[in-house]
Amino acid sequence: MTIPRKMIDLNMDNQPLRAEADATILKVAEANGIYIPTLCAHKDLTPFGGCRLCIVEVEGMRGFPTACTTPVTDGMTIRTNTSQLQAIRTEILQLILSEHPCSCLICDEQDECKEFNATIRKAAVTTGCRYCSNDGQCELADVVKWLGIKEINYPISYRYLPVEKDDPFYDRDYNLCILCGRCVRMCQEIRMADTLAFKQRGQRTIIGPAYSRTHLEAGCEFCGACVSVCPTGALSEKTSKWQGKAESEAVTTCALCGVGCQLNLQIRDNKVINVLPAEDHLINNGQLCVKGRFCIPELVNNHKRLRRPRYFHGGIEEQLSLEKAIEIAAGKLSHCPPEQFGMIISSNCTNEDLYVAQKFVRTVMDSNNIDTMSRVSYGSAFGAYLNLMNKCTTMEDLRKASAIICIGLDTRFGQSVVGVELRKAGKRGAKIITINPRPHNLTVVADKWLQPETGQEAGLIDKLAKLMEIGANKSKGVKRPAASKGIRAELAEAIGILCEAESVVILVGSDVIQYRGSSDIFESIDKLAQTLQAGVMLLPAQNNLYGSLMMGTYPEILPGGYSSTDKARLNHFAKLWGSELSDSNLSWNAESVARGREIKVLYLLGEIPLKSRPAADFVIFQNIYAPDFFNPEELVIPSAAFTEVDGTFINGEGRLQKVRKAVDPPANVFPDWKILSLIAQKMEKKGFEYLSSEDIRIEISRVIMGFHNSDESLRPILPFKSEFHLSAVSEGEMVNFKSKGQKPFLLQTRVAEHTYRGFTLSAFVDGMKAISDENVLEINPDDAKELGLSCDDEAIVKSEEFEKIWPVKITPQQPARMLRVTLSPGDFSGHNPYPVKIRKNNV
Amino acid sequence: MEKKILFKYIDDPLQVNIDTYMSHGGYKAWEKVLKSMKPAEVIDEMKKSGLRGRGGAGFPAGMKWSFIPKDSPKPRYLVCNADESEPGTCKDRVLMEHDPHAVVEGMAIAAYAIGSHQAFCYVRGEFAYPAAMMEKAIDEAYSKGILGKNIFKSGYDLEMVVHTGGGAYICGEETALLNSLEGERGMSRIRPPFPAIEGLYGCPTVVNNVETLAVVPQVINMGAEWYAAIGTEKSKGTKIFSLSGHIKRPGNYELELGTKLSYLMNDLGGGMLDGHKLKAIIPGGSSTPFLLPNQIDTPLDYESLAAAGSMLGSGAVIVIDERTCMVWVIERLIHFYKHESCGKCTPCREGTGWLEQLIGRIEAGEGQQGDLEKIDSICDNILGRTICPLGDAAVMPIQSALKLFRDEFQYHIDNKKCLVKTEFEFK
Ligand SMILES: Cc1cc2nc3c(=O)[nH]c(=O)nc-3n(C[C@H](O)[C@H](O)[C@H](O)COP(=O)(O)O)c2cc1C
Ligand code: SF4
Ligand code: SF4
Ligand code: SF4
Ligand code: FES
Repeated sequence: MTIPRKMIDLNMDNQPLRAEADATILKVAEANGIYIPTLCAHKDLTPFGGCRLCIVEVEGMRGFPTACTTPVTDGMTIRTNTSQLQAIRTEILQLILSEHPCSCLICDEQDECKEFNATIRKAAVTTGCRYCSNDGQCELADVVKWLGIKEINYPISYRYLPVEKDDPFYDRDYNLCILCGRCVRMCQEIRMADTLAFKQRGQRTIIGPAYSRTHLEAGCEFCGACVSVCPTGALSEKTSKWQGKAESEAVTTCALCGVGCQLNLQIRDNKVINVLPAEDHLINNGQLCVKGRFCIPELVNNHKRLRRPRYFHGGIEEQLSLEKAIEIAAGKLSHCPPEQFGMIISSNCTNEDLYVAQKFVRTVMDSNNIDTMSRVSYGSAFGAYLNLMNKCTTMEDLRKASAIICIGLDTRFGQSVVGVELRKAGKRGAKIITINPRPHNLTVVADKWLQPETGQEAGLIDKLAKLMEIGANKSKGVKRPAASKGIRAELAEAIGILCEAESVVILVGSDVIQYRGSSDIFESIDKLAQTLQAGVMLLPAQNNLYGSLMMGTYPEILPGGYSSTDKARLNHFAKLWGSELSDSNLSWNAESVARGREIKVLYLLGEIPLKSRPAADFVIFQNIYAPDFFNPEELVIPSAAFTEVDGTFINGEGRLQKVRKAVDPPANVFPDWKILSLIAQKMEKKGFEYLSSEDIRIEISRVIMGFHNSDESLRPILPFKSEFHLSAVSEGEMVNFKSKGQKPFLLQTRVAEHTYRGFTLSAFVDGMKAISDENVLEINPDDAKELGLSCDDEAIVKSEEFEKIWPVKITPQQPARMLRVTLSPGDFSGHNPYPVKIRKNNV
Repeated sequence: MEKKILFKYIDDPLQVNIDTYMSHGGYKAWEKVLKSMKPAEVIDEMKKSGLRGRGGAGFPAGMKWSFIPKDSPKPRYLVCNADESEPGTCKDRVLMEHDPHAVVEGMAIAAYAIGSHQAFCYVRGEFAYPAAMMEKAIDEAYSKGILGKNIFKSGYDLEMVVHTGGGAYICGEETALLNSLEGERGMSRIRPPFPAIEGLYGCPTVVNNVETLAVVPQVINMGAEWYAAIGTEKSKGTKIFSLSGHIKRPGNYELELGTKLSYLMNDLGGGMLDGHKLKAIIPGGSSTPFLLPNQIDTPLDYESLAAAGSMLGSGAVIVIDERTCMVWVIERLIHFYKHESCGKCTPCREGTGWLEQLIGRIEAGEGQQGDLEKIDSICDNILGRTICPLGDAAVMPIQSALKLFRDEFQYHIDNKKCLVKTEFEFK
């Protein structure tokens, strides 16, 4: 229960006001529509009191207190806008402007300039005239205007600092910086990333990471929160800085991972020019990670976007209209027998797309051959993973947890919003345990870092579960096991933490999913969760993995999580859809494609299962970009990106979230559900007469309880039936890691997690190249030394199954004798770790 | 008159050893306080003594201690401010080098009075030797059970540690000091909340100057009445004055407050160097306004100096003779303040920068008409409008010089040369 705050009376500018006792003068003024100029104050940040523009007069107080820092008291009389205050503010602002290239702010021609371009725009960058990317959005300019400053009594002193462009995603021109410290406070107080700091003193004070490191070196998460709060053009997004001011905004759900952050898309000329976090949202609370904040404009506005259907046949390429493409697709599909058809669909698609796709496969193709690539990336763990989803807990629970266990999680780049929550949790006293073989960004946040050897995570988690069980049984209350022969000291400590915790949440990152035997890990996690009565929060890289399960885009799974071999259910759906449903054909799945099983028509909807041409007579490729490989017989259909469609996603918590169309797709480009519906109609099938995604939603809500809910703020968490059984993925024996003598090298391959519709973001977003370690061989410095490898070298890696050449990246993050390579989804085959031989590639 | 309370044993080279210190009655006050006085009684005694802070602001010590909330569940901290960096001031250093145990004992008593079990001595980064002496003294005190657990079997615990700063004038300002002590950048904090409510790590904290604390044991030993009988009606006790500049015998002198400036300069300091004529005096450290030769009989106490238009400050008396160009003096001072501004607030950060540029160009003979008015206006713009008093400190000597010696500045501008023929150059 919150205690009602004491209310007091005061007088501001001759207005009697009532206010909360501990509010600042500024807050009270804002709440009552009284404008006080500010530059360093920001609603989310602690008061700084640096710029001194917000000075006011308070009766009985000496001097001019700053409104942003001074709390109101009972009976206070405040004046915010006397001529003396304005004069002082003008002087202060002039001091600020004296160090800010600002001719544009005080130029006589200002108004005409905008309309007629009257002024010769040759003024150098140093004078700031129209050359500031913040033109039209500058808070400094607003205050200058309000104070009516027309000239500056000081010569302008330019700092002659080089504009810093070497780090990815945002540029820094500290010549424009007014040292308001908002970025520093954002980085330190809200993100708790401590990358930015004040450096130097006096007039030479400047912002940046300490010790002249680059942002990359200093641990910057590139969340862009600093850029968002900068009142000037000092910090600016590389891709958006020259796009001007947004004309409108649209709130939607991020499609780049399962956290489900709410984005505020900035729109101009039917283009998403920038992305800001939606304010005060329950999930991301005004924060984003690098992907949501910076990647989307480059991803969806890319010149490589597909715009027209293409048809490859007999060695020639033909561009065609959508009608023609639909016709060809319908023709190919109507001649395809059910067992010779397969569709792989992206779990980045909306629920509406997914639902229509599985309905299409089941009713039009009379098949169950629909799958997602997650089956391949999660390998044998897929079933266990999906089952764990049913135990998912919420962000609210995470915020309340008294202990948090992170397993295989690194939140530096992707999912950094969760990292922020973890640091916040640490600050409020929650204990954090992180389990990861590699040094990672949470080691400095966690109270305890348990570092199993790669592949031994399951054993460690099992042990933890067992010890907790014993502890719980032995004494009804709390019992800390002492370190003993069987229990390593650090494990004992971790158990001590868990014994004292009232509520535990387990977070599962993507570092644990991709090797042989990782199904054990999920079973262990399940056990541990049961023993601790902990909630589990899976943080899947695929944003709508939950949705794919709910919509039933798997051979084994019907919408709602029902088994597709369940006769009664099949009959139920058959009735709903007005079509016979097949209960056979359960032998095909995404693995079959990876293994090269030949079929007649392969429909790749937003996915790329292989780097090379998949084994199929004919491929329908529907995506936002063209594939890298060339198929002699192929139909390419462009589809709309998530910023261009209406619909819903279900995030890792199981929360149903809205996707809102912010801009139109390119001409003649449609959402996936629409394309599928058109093909179905062409094939003269009923049940695809949808006019909008809303129509589909209504249909889904008849199939899945609680799906259709109009209350946007609190969408339901959807439970599903885990009645399905996934066919096991074939896998070899677990490698014995504990072999005696000199350990062999083990290669761990992992699938790139920063992807959208089968493409790695780094392929389309420049900055992502700098932060994703894709297609490089990560190796420990000692091992590299032993092998004579240095940073520009390539290594030849050889196993029984393959021989590959990768450039090396030497990093102390990599444990000894362990190699790691991150591959794009199409390159990945999921059988690892491999014992390998490695040598330098002498070219 | 010269009166040695703090400096009683300053010339005894063995005073730095705990045994010698104790043979002179050292740590008796600490024992007395622990065994027979309640914290509130100690605070009362301090209030009665009239001891005021010697760090610059002159705030009554007992009163400051009494601001610590009685019922806060948080730990409290005592911090000794040994950052001494104000140009001209060099008294704390001497105390730490020659009588460190007095500082330790004073810190201990102050800590007890406010219910603190952890005391910090924040020593200026460049002060390697004083820091070492303090560390040695603290070690010795620990080894005798004078610090640590259950001191003198009273059940009271007190830990004490020396922390050396990175070397910045601003870190002497108490809130910047607290930031620095926490491992943050030395930048002033917004007040309120004051350190007594939310100081180090957000807990109630008292920050006192070395000299303030070093005299505390004597006040306890001899009694508040004894101390209050020394000095003037409102300025009690003695104060160390650091005499420097164009004077025959510069150095630290401990005087009863109220002693005339002329006594310090002539009787103790031996008069002007080389018989030159006196031009101006900075009486309380580089941030205080100038006094003129006709004010040489001003008594050195808080009230008299305020009445004379200046301040007692940290008690650093800088004597300036007729050969010195005031433009040059001010140029040196503003260079210091510009360099030391923490950069947090606009008026100080930008203002000191511009002042240095303007004064620098006047000094270099490149001043322009109107520069003095601009300087006036920047000074107005800074004074009283900054977060911490560094801005004021930078401006006060400038405003004073422009009032008292404006003709020298004007001459520089008009004639592109100096009015005062400087025979010897300091540069
Ligand atoms: C810029 C600046 C520098 C200061 N430097 C010191 C210093 O070096 N030593 C000191 O004791 N007080 C210094 N002070 C004063 C302290 O803020 C504080 O008032 C003092 O330590 C309180 O101790 P007292 O009450 O014992 O005087 C400085 C103040 C300012 C504004
Ligand atoms: S970079 Fe921007 S936010 Fe940061 S201090 Fe400078 S002006 Fe303020
Ligand atoms: S954490 Fe996930 S949902 Fe949030 S912005 Fe990043 S990619 Fe998008
Ligand atoms: S007055 Fe100067 S030193 Fe003090 S806070 Fe402002 S900028 Fe920093
Ligand atoms: S807004 Fe209050 S000082 Fe900057």
